[in-house]
Amino acid sequence: MKLLLLWIPLLFVPAVVHSNVVLTILIFTFILGILAVSFNLIFGFTGQLSLFHAAAFGLSAYATYLSMAHWGISFWLGALVGIVFVTLISIVIGAICFRFKLRELYFAIVTLAFSELARLVILNWNGFTNGSLGINFTLTPTVWVPGRGVIPVAGTLMWYYLSLAAVVLAVVFYTRIVHSWMGRCFASIRLNDELADTLGINVFRYKLISFVAGNIGAAVAGSLYAFYISYIDPNYFSLDQSLAIIAMALLGGREFVAAPIVGALVLTALPHVINVNAEARLLVYGLILILTILLMPRGIVGLAARRRRAA
Amino acid sequence: MLLEVRHLTKRFGGLTAVSDISFGLDEGNIVGVFGPNGSGKTTLLNLISGVYPPSDGQLLWKGEELVGRKPHEIAETGIVKTFQNPQLFGELSVFDNVAIAGHLRLKRHSGWRRVATLFPLRRRVSADFEHRIREILRLCRLEPFGDQPAASLSYGGEKMLGVAMALMCEPKVLLLDEPASGLGHDEVRNLDTVLRDLRQQGTTLCVIDHRVGFLGKLADRAIVIHHGAKIAEGRPDEVLADRAVIDAYLGRGHA
Repeated sequence: MKLLLLWIPLLFVPAVVHSNVVLTILIFTFILGILAVSFNLIFGFTGQLSLFHAAAFGLSAYATYLSMAHWGISFWLGALVGIVFVTLISIVIGAICFRFKLRELYFAIVTLAFSELARLVILNWNGFTNGSLGINFTLTPTVWVPGRGVIPVAGTLMWYYLSLAAVVLAVVFYTRIVHSWMGRCFASIRLNDELADTLGINVFRYKLISFVAGNIGAAVAGSLYAFYISYIDPNYFSLDQSLAIIAMALLGGREFVAAPIVGALVLTALPHVINVNAEARLLVYGLILILTILLMPRGIVGLAARRRRAA
Repeated sequence: MLLEVRHLTKRFGGLTAVSDISFGLDEGNIVGVFGPNGSGKTTLLNLISGVYPPSDGQLLWKGEELVGRKPHEIAETGIVKTFQNPQLFGELSVFDNVAIAGHLRLKRHSGWRRVATLFPLRRRVSADFEHRIREILRLCRLEPFGDQPAASLSYGGEKMLGVAMALMCEPKVLLLDEPASGLGHDEVRNLDTVLRDLRQQGTTLCVIDHRVGFLGKLADRAIVIHHGAKIAEGRPDEVLADRAVIDAYLGRGHA
């Protein structure tokens, strides 16, 4: 909990930094950070390489918007619809995968198949989702601000604080889980699930809980992301997105709850820092990824933690 | 009778690893299962603990059928087993290994209330829980290594950690798969003390070993299996003097 204090300086960043570009990068970092942190619960802490995370992110984005548009509910209720929808789907997919004891790459491939399935449904259900053209939003989330009543979330500053609050909540939520008896169950599954089984741990149940709890984070990130950029299309579900999430977790470090946020920051900021033409940029970008993973297998935060311990 | 094994049989393809074995475990006893390497001892324990489904036969826990239950469900009834080759969570500390093994204890003691501990208002681990872990580590002489990764322990230390983890499950029946193999002299003596202690506390033990010396002195009752079948049962000294046992297992040289 002491580590929460590290977040306090972020409250004052907008007072010091007036660059919209920097604040925008931070907003994306926070929202994608939720996505990466929640992914890491499934991947880093429970040891299951899920490729469904981008799909959970996209499904929730669509569910949130479509429920708002069709039922006239507020963003917050819409986000709740997104979370409930993703939870139900995760229970079904998780139950199928874990009942058949799919391990490692088999689990990855089957979750990827479900992810593709979701993308194809969204892509082809033109009447409902507008297919490959995507949807431009006219709706915005609203918040209640003391003294000003209910106002729409608009402008960089409001989004900055909204996404900061969301990422802090996500980190607290996942930290509580990871550092509890439930986190110990997840670790036991990651390290030796047969032993966990003989110790009385219901491997199926805890794999499923981890998968669902992780996807809920993706759902929250999906709703926020879609409304921040006011646009959704089937690219939310793409394999690129899934790979980017894995890269964030690996870059930041798998062992610490909040570390993937550092990975999200690097991946969000890189395109702005490397000022070369688009083709070369992808090349540099890939090279940096490969080198980091080769030279820092425990990620940026993992390396920093080891340095500190050694000093 | 606490646990009754009836006509238990396991076939792997054409090989019958365990053939029509029946015996019972009475509360508070130590039963030794002897047999040469490859005689089916480990398979027998794996059948009882639910790792393999038996091809035939019954397992009755206080008269209730156990066949068909999953390993974690069998562990929950109170039948816990250790592994011949220590199975550990290598990168976690010795303390954390035992803490993970405390899952069932936590479940029994707090039930669904344990879900509430996930929220910030409750303490994470009760002091009582940590106290119990320290107690078990002391009993198994692992206390000095509590903060070290489990993978850094010696072979003997790893085996003792396996026993410590099994103890943390609060077993009613503890199945030990060759706990003494690979241990040094002092370690075997320590193990002996721990197991006698356990019996005093009312834990029923089923220990398998191919070495006669250690287990012969410890067990109240001995069962000998050979080629997957039971060939003798009775008091250890009598059984080990049995003609068939000497022939099949110790070799004629001992007669």
